[in-house]
Amino acid sequence: MAAPFTLRKIGVPPNSANLTEARRRVFDFFRAACRSIPTIMDIYNLQDVVAPSQLRFAISAQIRNNAHITDPKVIDLLLFKGMEELTDIVDHAKQRHHIIGQYVVGEGLVQNTGNKDQGRTDFLKNFYTSNYF
Amino acid sequence: MGLGILASRTIRPASRLLQSQRSNFFLRTIVSKPELQSPESAAVSEPEPPTQILPPRNPIGGARVHFSNPEDAIEVFVDGYAVKVPKGFTVLQACEVAGVDIPRFCYHSRLSIAGNCRMCLVEVEKSPKPVASCAMPALPGMKIKTDTPIAKKAREGVMEFLLMNHPLDCPICDQGGECDLQDQSMAFGSDRGRFTEMKRSVVDKNLGPLVKTVMTRCIQCTRCVRFASEVAGVQDLGMLGRGSGEEIGTYVEKLMTSELSGNVIDICPVGALTSKPFAFKARNWELKATETIDVSDAVGSNIRVDSRGPEVMRIIPRLNEDINEEWISDKTRFCYDGLKRQRLSDPMIRDSDGRFKAVSWRDALAVVGDVIHQVKPDEIVGVAGQLSDAESMMVLKDFVNRMGSDNVWCEGTAVGVDADLRYSYLMNTSISGLENADLFLLVGTQPRVEAAMVNARICKTVRASNAKVGYVGPPAEFNYDCKHLGTGPDTLKEIAEGRHPFCTALKNAKNPAIIVGAGLFNRTDKNAILSSVESIAQANNVVRPDWNGLNFLLLYAAQAAALDLGLIQQSAKALESAKFVYLMGADDVDVDKIPKDAFVVYQGHHGDKAVYRANVILPASAFTEKEGTYENTEGFTQQTVPAVPTVGDARDDWKIVRALSEISGVKLPYNSIEGVRSRIKNVAPNLVNTDEREPAAFGPTLKPECKETMSTTPFQPAVENFYMTNSITRASKIMAQCSAVLLKK
Repeated sequence: MAAPFTLRKIGVPPNSANLTEARRRVFDFFRAACRSIPTIMDIYNLQDVVAPSQLRFAISAQIRNNAHITDPKVIDLLLFKGMEELTDIVDHAKQRHHIIGQYVVGEGLVQNTGNKDQGRTDFLKNFYTSNYF
Repeated sequence: MGLGILASRTIRPASRLLQSQRSNFFLRTIVSKPELQSPESAAVSEPEPPTQILPPRNPIGGARVHFSNPEDAIEVFVDGYAVKVPKGFTVLQACEVAGVDIPRFCYHSRLSIAGNCRMCLVEVEKSPKPVASCAMPALPGMKIKTDTPIAKKAREGVMEFLLMNHPLDCPICDQGGECDLQDQSMAFGSDRGRFTEMKRSVVDKNLGPLVKTVMTRCIQCTRCVRFASEVAGVQDLGMLGRGSGEEIGTYVEKLMTSELSGNVIDICPVGALTSKPFAFKARNWELKATETIDVSDAVGSNIRVDSRGPEVMRIIPRLNEDINEEWISDKTRFCYDGLKRQRLSDPMIRDSDGRFKAVSWRDALAVVGDVIHQVKPDEIVGVAGQLSDAESMMVLKDFVNRMGSDNVWCEGTAVGVDADLRYSYLMNTSISGLENADLFLLVGTQPRVEAAMVNARICKTVRASNAKVGYVGPPAEFNYDCKHLGTGPDTLKEIAEGRHPFCTALKNAKNPAIIVGAGLFNRTDKNAILSSVESIAQANNVVRPDWNGLNFLLLYAAQAAALDLGLIQQSAKALESAKFVYLMGADDVDVDKIPKDAFVVYQGHHGDKAVYRANVILPASAFTEKEGTYENTEGFTQQTVPAVPTVGDARDDWKIVRALSEISGVKLPYNSIEGVRSRIKNVAPNLVNTDEREPAAFGPTLKPECKETMSTTPFQPAVENFYMTNSITRASKIMAQCSAVLLKK
């Protein structure tokens, strides 16, 4: 259950002085995450389900989701949460179906539904979800 | 000085006594005299109680007082409170006006007075024994006392007698929790019983698949007997035997076939007559009550839907003086189990091998949107069903019109029915106004099966004022005295020309009412028939400024709103030449008329007849699950309230059409129910004013002359099977049992 040596080195200290440092931290985090992908695939037996490149794509997509943020403090917080999530996954605190549902590219992920619902109004989006809106 | 007093306080107890005796010089000893000991003098010396200002009392029990003759009001005193009542009021009614609720079992405000339960006994001054307040007329200056020991003792005694032969069935009785006997014994009965003998039991009677009878529980109040003979008009039930051997039943082995038979379940104060489908299903405290409107016919009876979680457990009537009083028909009451069977819950598309496959909403709407663009505008047809609410019909009409087609209509309106003048499809005398009529001419309508509440009102009028009823149409059963004048348009012609013997009765009537059935709208000679009816109306002064007696009885809940919104059928060949047919709950459409290559979309809540022809199924919500506006046959707008959540992936009707419009590219300008309602306000503003009746503005004088001739085919009945008229009732097991057992062959 010990976190790998690589992760222990990169704990996120609370303050980044400026955007550059926050950027650097983001890339460090991404690197740490990608380096733990083989461990993840081993722990959760994802060899037949997904390729490492797909997992890398999923992680980068989640980071890219927040690409528009400029406040270093906000970036720090998001990194903290990302680190927390990564630690959970690597510690086997999650289970296979969590990983598959949240990170394996499927129906509900941002990449897939983005192009379908782009031109749709709120009415239609709500209509597809449920009757009560 | 102070020290001295303090010192005196610390002396020993013995000397304190001496001290206190000495100090008693200044206290007055209390001395009692013999005069003061006797009670009479106490009463005399007691000062008069000041005239209290009693708190104002409001009438309870829903009692309303109507002074038809203000000079005739009399004053009575109820528990010291003076109250003015009209002359014919009984003591019980006077107490109700004064805010005192008197317990009763056999008295019911809508039935005749029996006076046999004796629970309503109150003490009246100057009367040797307590009087039955339900039967005693209130005389001026009467002093009524309801909370004296005599009245209380009387109630305890009556309660004790009633409970003597009453079985200990509370745990297994369906009426537990809403039982008058339980409530009144807790409130007015004594705490212990003295009965040690054997209780009597009575054999159960079979009254049909709707009413469950446990006659041992009957307290012989005769409410059901009076209801059956007065309100329902059938003398089915009666009291057999005498004394403790009295039994309520049908003397012959007869089932209660009346369409109002379910109301005895509400009327019975104990668990003797209960609902058979609801037996042992739920207790009344676990049910959530929702006040809504019924859509099984065009009357719009007010109902209360009791639900437990996602399931409708039973339907109970709600009081509405103008429409259904306190009664509902059997179809309304027992159709709820059809809401659980044959429900459409997922969108489906028909595969190439002819079977339906469940898909997501995205795919279903995408398919429909594709097809609708490949079709010419004239070949698009939209049909609204009998149970559609005004919002969904408005959105459907807007959508079909925006696609370029004018072929959108509601079931039941054949070609040529025009909705220009509202009087030509509404009940212009309102349903409550029918009580003032003294002659009824029923043309091609059997109100007993088409609108049971209207029939109940006619029955009430006939019973109260001996109104005459003449009927033109196929032979039918009536529960009041009715003259069968003829079977077809010939009789109408005779009446119009004055040759029929009924015409004298028509001329002598002060307030004649003509009721024409909407089944006649489907005839080809409809215009001729309507013009003949209007000439009868004109000749006999039926339509006047103060009384409009020309009425049309619609068949379906959606018809009045559809005609108000303008959903009429313009061309007869629309269905035959259609390539895209959108059926919104329309099951009575003749499916054979739809061409084989047409693409049919069925949007509805039950898999009824039209589903088998559909290519795409879009599941919608039923009337208990949506908030929809319905207009009844007299023009009274009401709203249903959702009582249970929708089934599966179903959506509201109007939302589906609005989403479809967006997918098809003709996005409608509203996306909330308020938007739809403001659109309706533009078209038919009376549909937005809920709980209000909008009478027709113009009369028949505006119609042009009609040159067609009537055909000689006699009138056909509009409703073949009372118990199975719409998709919900056709899916209901109880209705199937009723139609197998209770219909007259």
